[in-house]
Amino acid sequence: MISRGQRLTIWSLVWLSIITLSLPTVVVLGASFTAGNMIAFPPEGLSLRWYEKIALARDLRQAFFRSLIVAGVCTLVSIPVGTLAGLALSRFRLRFAGVIQVYLLLPFTIPLIGSGIGLMLVFGQWGVLGSLWPVGVACAVINLPFIVWSVSSSAVLLDPDLELAAQNCGAGRVQTFLYVTLPAVMPGVITGSLLMFILAMNEFLVSLLLTDARIVTLPVQIYNSIRSIITPDLAAVSVVFIVIALAAIWLLDRLVGLEIFLKSK
Amino acid sequence: MPETPADFRYPLRWRLMDGIEALADRIWPRRLAPWTGWLLITPALLLVGLLVLGLIQIADSSLRTLDTATFLPSEDWSLANFEKALASRVYLTVAWRSLLGAALTTFLTLALAFPYAYALVRTRRPWVRKALLITLFLPFFIGQVVRAYGWLIILGNSGMVNEALSLVGVAPMRLLFNYPAVIFGMVQYMLPFAVLLMVPALAAIPAETETAAGSLGANWLRTTWHVVLPMAKPGLIGAGLVVATLSLTDFAVPAMLGGGSQDFIANAIYDQFFRTADQGLGSALALMLVAAGSVLVGLVFLVFGAGTLSMGGRR
Repeated sequence: MISRGQRLTIWSLVWLSIITLSLPTVVVLGASFTAGNMIAFPPEGLSLRWYEKIALARDLRQAFFRSLIVAGVCTLVSIPVGTLAGLALSRFRLRFAGVIQVYLLLPFTIPLIGSGIGLMLVFGQWGVLGSLWPVGVACAVINLPFIVWSVSSSAVLLDPDLELAAQNCGAGRVQTFLYVTLPAVMPGVITGSLLMFILAMNEFLVSLLLTDARIVTLPVQIYNSIRSIITPDLAAVSVVFIVIALAAIWLLDRLVGLEIFLKSK
Repeated sequence: MPETPADFRYPLRWRLMDGIEALADRIWPRRLAPWTGWLLITPALLLVGLLVLGLIQIADSSLRTLDTATFLPSEDWSLANFEKALASRVYLTVAWRSLLGAALTTFLTLALAFPYAYALVRTRRPWVRKALLITLFLPFFIGQVVRAYGWLIILGNSGMVNEALSLVGVAPMRLLFNYPAVIFGMVQYMLPFAVLLMVPALAAIPAETETAAGSLGANWLRTTWHVVLPMAKPGLIGAGLVVATLSLTDFAVPAMLGGGSQDFIANAIYDQFFRTADQGLGSALALMLVAAGSVLVGLVFLVFGAGTLSMGGRR
């Protein structure tokens, strides 16, 4: 039973949120199609010239591929690590489980600037700064709790009796894992790895700290260009991110359903 | 009963599986089973260990002062950097600005996230739910830089809002590079996090409790205040904690929407490393920020528990 006052209050606040959330995306999309040299309102006609320009810009293209590599490394590292950790936390009785949880939440509790600078010093000492894979590893570290969460929230839904039943039917430990446990936590693994990919693709501060001028990733490239002048080509680049985000949402919805995030806890 | 042919072999897949099982038994014998959980969690512990190594590095360099003659960090340890940071008025201002910003952002974000999460959980129409989810995920997946860029286009001196205002004859206003702009950008950045962390707690509240409160004579405001909010506490704590720590330590929003005049702690640390190149002072500041964040998180965990942030889930 919902009263009119409640409906009105809630939905006006929700609409405020919707507008705040979507406005930058919509405006960036609109600005990328402008025909003028400056971003103006009202726009000076439609054109695709800025897309043509960014397609020809070598630095942007390279930065984009670097971002893809970083996101790929991050995902490849975090899938096994996060899946195993999620299973361990939800399906095994660990001693000091509370301490481990607090420890694994460190990536969230340590401020990003602290993690970034710490990793910069560590990687610097190891002499690996200047290549891309440390950036990917760093992204995996700072976002690890996301994949651990999504895996463990799928894992707790699996009835332990199913695993016992499989073993009772003669399946070994590896078989039980591959044919019972893994399929059951697959939604969590998919959700987690998509999140890891997207977050690494967009990661800004850690990239800024761990890359130098030769290996900037796309968000850093955009950030550096914004500081000089705002031109519509940046809007066109930003649309690349919007398209990737839309693709990820579509994929997530197709594979596991967005409603997975609405589960109660 | 048919004879088993002499050259009978089990299917390849079976033999492969048996081989893998035998290998697993060799590498990780069954008597080690009590430790399997630890085996699974070790990679994560090691990966997060990188952060611990980083903290040790920061702690080490925070104890070394910059030698202005050679521009190298000193060999011996001292607390000079901490003294310098604590004595400086500039950092006091920056710290105060960040703390106030984090508090404002947390309050505003929770105030917006609660109705959003509530609508998301309670709506009966699937398409509304899906639309709300997509609206939430799109900015979440787009990243801070692009979003901040969008705000620059909208709010800039020759941005959309000012151009529109000039059409009706209002002089351009400085909408960017001030404190409210930073807070606004921050709230927008944090909203998806907050909603996603709040939703599990709200979904756990049966709609019947609200109906019951209503049938006992409570109006919806009282129901929300006395029934829904207390039951949603784990979600509010989880969301509030994440928003508070993330906004306290954010770099991109103050850098891009504050335009250098509204630095938060993270910006000050970055400047120490990359502008002034005083690694020791920067490390001291970073360490104090880590300590402040940990104390905040630790206190909330102690008082309220981990809320929706707990990773083990139900047993």
